[in-house]
Amino acid sequence: MAAPPSTGTGAPSPSARAAGGDAERPVPRVRVRAPGEPRKVAYLYLAPAFLFYLLFAFGPLVYTAWLSLFDWDGLTVGTWTGLDNYRKVLSDPDIRASFVHSFELIFFYAILPVLLGLFLASVIAHGRARGVTFFRAVLFLPQTVATVVVAIAWVWIYAPDGPLNEGLRAIGLGGLTRSWLGDFAWALPALGMVGTWVTFGLCLVLFLAGIQKIPHTLYEAARVDGASHFREFFAVTLPGLRGELAVALTLTVITALRTFDLIYVSTNGGPGTSTTVPSVLVYQNAFSNGRVGLAAAVAVVLTALIFVVAFGITRLVDRDPAR
Amino acid sequence: MRNRWLSAALPLALAIVVAACGGTPGQDKPSGSSAGTPADQVKTSGFDKLGPVTLRVVSSEGSGGPREAIKQLTKEFEAKYPNVTVQVSFRDFSSWIKQAKLAAASDKPPDVFAGNQGYQLDGELVKAGLILPLNEYAKAYGWDKSYTPETLQQFSWSDDGKTFGKGTLWGVAQSGQSTGVFANLTKLRQAGVDPAQLKTFDDFDAALAKLRKALPADEPVISLGNKDQFGAIHLWGMIQGAYEPAQAIRDWIFHKPGATFDTPGNLKSLQKLKEWADKGYLGQGDAFNARNDSEAAAAFGRGSGAFVLGGNWNASIAKDGLGKNAAFFDMPPGSGGKAIAIGSTSTPLHISAKSKQPDLAAAYLDFITGPTAGKALVDTQQVPAATDATAKPGDPLGKEVIAGWQKLVNDGGLTLYPDWSSPTMLQTMGQSFQEMLAGRTSPQDVVSRVQKDWEEYDKELQGS
Repeated sequence: MAAPPSTGTGAPSPSARAAGGDAERPVPRVRVRAPGEPRKVAYLYLAPAFLFYLLFAFGPLVYTAWLSLFDWDGLTVGTWTGLDNYRKVLSDPDIRASFVHSFELIFFYAILPVLLGLFLASVIAHGRARGVTFFRAVLFLPQTVATVVVAIAWVWIYAPDGPLNEGLRAIGLGGLTRSWLGDFAWALPALGMVGTWVTFGLCLVLFLAGIQKIPHTLYEAARVDGASHFREFFAVTLPGLRGELAVALTLTVITALRTFDLIYVSTNGGPGTSTTVPSVLVYQNAFSNGRVGLAAAVAVVLTALIFVVAFGITRLVDRDPAR
Repeated sequence: MRNRWLSAALPLALAIVVAACGGTPGQDKPSGSSAGTPADQVKTSGFDKLGPVTLRVVSSEGSGGPREAIKQLTKEFEAKYPNVTVQVSFRDFSSWIKQAKLAAASDKPPDVFAGNQGYQLDGELVKAGLILPLNEYAKAYGWDKSYTPETLQQFSWSDDGKTFGKGTLWGVAQSGQSTGVFANLTKLRQAGVDPAQLKTFDDFDAALAKLRKALPADEPVISLGNKDQFGAIHLWGMIQGAYEPAQAIRDWIFHKPGATFDTPGNLKSLQKLKEWADKGYLGQGDAFNARNDSEAAAAFGRGSGAFVLGGNWNASIAKDGLGKNAAFFDMPPGSGGKAIAIGSTSTPLHISAKSKQPDLAAAYLDFITGPTAGKALVDTQQVPAATDATAKPGDPLGKEVIAGWQKLVNDGGLTLYPDWSSPTMLQTMGQSFQEMLAGRTSPQDVVSRVQKDWEEYDKELQGS
């Protein structure tokens, strides 16, 4: 977040004054720019994209925040209620539970894939395994499939007579079978595993690319010093992957927090409220329950949460220790 | 530093500007409905001279027989008026009821579209003035005579959308949809259960126990699909009918003064539902939560389960699967001696307040719901909602489905749908039923949660 050395406004830098060559005048009327220093006209180049952003991202966001201050059914004239909707978000046990579910999903969408990815990436990078490219492609594949397709496929896998239960029965573990997505205790973890399956490939590919970037000399030095594979991982690989780790965590955590399509297609928040997440509540309240203001308030809180978490991750992981 | 302040203040200033532009949401919408078309202006003929026109229709009959009937009737309507093109799009009911309000409020809404009885959708459409009052058309086409008063009640609202069950007419519907018992006769015979001897609810209860012993442990006695959370509500409605008078149930839905859900009958019916789940009548574990209504009917058609306790809209699925071995009857009555179950007409069809061809739209409505529609409806295993449709089905299951509907109508036993009683009731009931069936909450707790939801909405209706 540190500002670049020169931002194009404010007092001219010493080099600029030197380039002006006129030491008599303390404040030059015509500002002289150092070569390569950005010019103000650059903002003009940014304008189209910025306008687009204002219109389609920032505008709706602000309007949502505005709506969250009303009691509105979506059709007739709304009533101003101030922060009432936010009070409800904080006090309603079902809404609070939905945020807890989101954090449980973070474990499956982010923590687990990152750990697995780190482990597999370091193993693959060291061993001269054959067919790495092939496996990398296969493991990355879920990332490219539309979530609705993923959801339908997994609903079938998890079905009471689906392949998972049939497989368990075939190996004599019939006692473990259950209707995974219809079970209060198991529906959320079952959906979480789908998340792991989806994001794991992304993490692996990121880490594999990152490891190839780490100078080989570091590994040689570690080996000369007699470091075990274990030490080598913590002393060389992990610090070298700091950037990739931040990217992987940010992407996967955001995916976890805003999950909607998977849950909408597979369980619709049920059984009971056991897989309800904030985005599902936004949808239900806005489109079927006629509580648009409350839906907007949940959406605003969710957006703020995602922002804080993503910012926190970049702060924690992506900090250059040298700085 | 000044720079940073600026970068923070700029979006904030913009935010205020954008928000202020928004104003109070909903302000620019038309308030209240148009007064309705005077009788002498209603046109019921001459549509062939309109020149080429297109009527846009959205139906929420996404599958099975109802969908086929609408396709067939639309084709016949277009044949009658070659200059008229009718574009019908079929949507899945569950997702359409969430999109309907947005579609109706858009600049170019469909001319004719499906709503849903109750406060969640129809009440809101009336309140926002998005649909046309149909009283004049009802007189012109005789709808006020071809439907029973109880049927028309479902489409009647006060003009402010607050009082349900009386006032102006806002829609008409195609078919009668009641819930009842689908039976697999082969399985009943094997277990020694004679469907003709199931005269009371207690007989039926005893037959369930007998079938539980006769069927393999991993096969449910009642094939239930509760993923969409309404399957268990429909099933329970038949138990409720054994313990609670139909009038009390309807009064509660219409928010009549003094109505309450907290009655011994409702509690007893929920306890019975839980008992059925605990005794394994609904299958092992929570498997019913993992499939939806039509998937459960399809499983029944493939020979899993002795009964389906659900909507007669699944008749064609049952018939395709079991043929002559499928039977349909109303749930045998409780101590009141009357057949009582959840049921109403199919979803009401409305005419958009913004339609440029309201007369033509009304003609289309009359064509697909009135006497002309009878044959297409019975051909697809449905019951015509209008009583003057005389077509009769040829097959036994079709006859049983119609007989079941008529008995409920004659007994005054159609209890409508409990989720019509508040915009959030489908969710409240659906979730709490699932929790109760999984043993995570008690029948008493379900009663209080349902009543609390109802009371909150009741207050909203009384106030403002």
